[in-house]
Amino acid sequence: MKQIKVNLSKNQIQKIMLSGMGFVVLVYVYFSFFLGPLNNSRDTMLGQITELQDKVSNSKSELTKTAKLEKQAETATNRFAALKALSPEGAPIAWFPPRMKAFFASQQIDKATARLENSSPYKETDLANWMRYSWVIELPQADFASLGTAIAALENAEPLLSITRFSVKALPDDPQFQQITMVASTAMVKR
Amino acid sequence: MALHLNLLHEEIFEQRQRQRDPLKIGMMVLGGLGALMLLYYLWNAYKVLEIRSRLSQAEHDWSKVEPKVTGAHKRSAELNGIISTTKVLDGMIDGRFFWAPFLEKLSRCVALNAQLTSIDGTVLDDGKISIVIEGLAAGREPRAAAEELRQLLLEQLGQSYQEVKVEFKALEDLDTIVKIGGANQAMARFGINATFTTQVSKPSPTPGPRMKVRG
Repeated sequence: MKQIKVNLSKNQIQKIMLSGMGFVVLVYVYFSFFLGPLNNSRDTMLGQITELQDKVSNSKSELTKTAKLEKQAETATNRFAALKALSPEGAPIAWFPPRMKAFFASQQIDKATARLENSSPYKETDLANWMRYSWVIELPQADFASLGTAIAALENAEPLLSITRFSVKALPDDPQFQQITMVASTAMVKR
Repeated sequence: MALHLNLLHEEIFEQRQRQRDPLKIGMMVLGGLGALMLLYYLWNAYKVLEIRSRLSQAEHDWSKVEPKVTGAHKRSAELNGIISTTKVLDGMIDGRFFWAPFLEKLSRCVALNAQLTSIDGTVLDDGKISIVIEGLAAGREPRAAAEELRQLLLEQLGQSYQEVKVEFKALEDLDTIVKIGGANQAMARFGINATFTTQVSKPSPTPGPRMKVRG
């Protein structure tokens, strides 16, 4: 094998080393300050593109799901609106007692009174916008048959009203009539 | 052979030395390498610009869709809220105890020789209904008249409700005599406790058939 013998002077060795150092610096600067950041930004942008494309494709299914849900929830929405409409605007204490008075008057039971016993929010998270009101309804004089009819009508007309306590006392002076006290709780929209 | 004398050998040597200068060669190599690197960088930069335009297109597409998606999300949450609230409210409505049918049943149980003086009913927290009835019964055997009322009440309530219990709380004869249909009849005062539920309680699970164990 032929060997090539290169004789380098000290000056030449220094220059070679200087060139080598220059090469190392060039490579370092190139990768650290030029190609590296460029690749980083490229990778970031590719990631962003993938993310956005995923979002866009998912959004189509989201829109479809919502449209389906809208159709499915039609009954519930109508029912919810109807239940909500049972609570008119304003403080319940302003409109509920007159409503009860008018209702029992329409059932031939006069002198009905309703007073607020207490009110409290519901514990259920689904009913965060609803309040429970407890009312004491007193009917000082009613006959049993009219009372039964009136209670049936009340329970049908007020689906969110539930009678929790019911007391009937015969009037000692007039046994044909009874004195009725009811405690009814109602669910009403927070206003 | 002619003698060839090179009188400029020193100059030529120096020129060759200059041409073989490692620094010069190194600088040339570095320059070449730098040019290649620059080309590669420019190629990459061009690609990055292309990606950037794709990104801006994707951002544009998303910005078009985003308001719709946000709106759909809101609407979806709202609808789910409405559905669950309506479900809870419907549960409350269905779970109510209706007093009117109970009063109707009670009225059927009271015979001519009995009079109810008070009725107190409460819907308990566990869903049970507790009723306390007080009244007067008259007859040759006023206690029997009260018992008849109790049994009738038990029968009537048993037709519509579950776990019906109707028991006497008190039953005592009174000294008072009352005239019914022209006949004098003795009286008794009674108190009845009735409890029942509107829903059937869940039955306890029955044990399954015994499995044969193979040895």
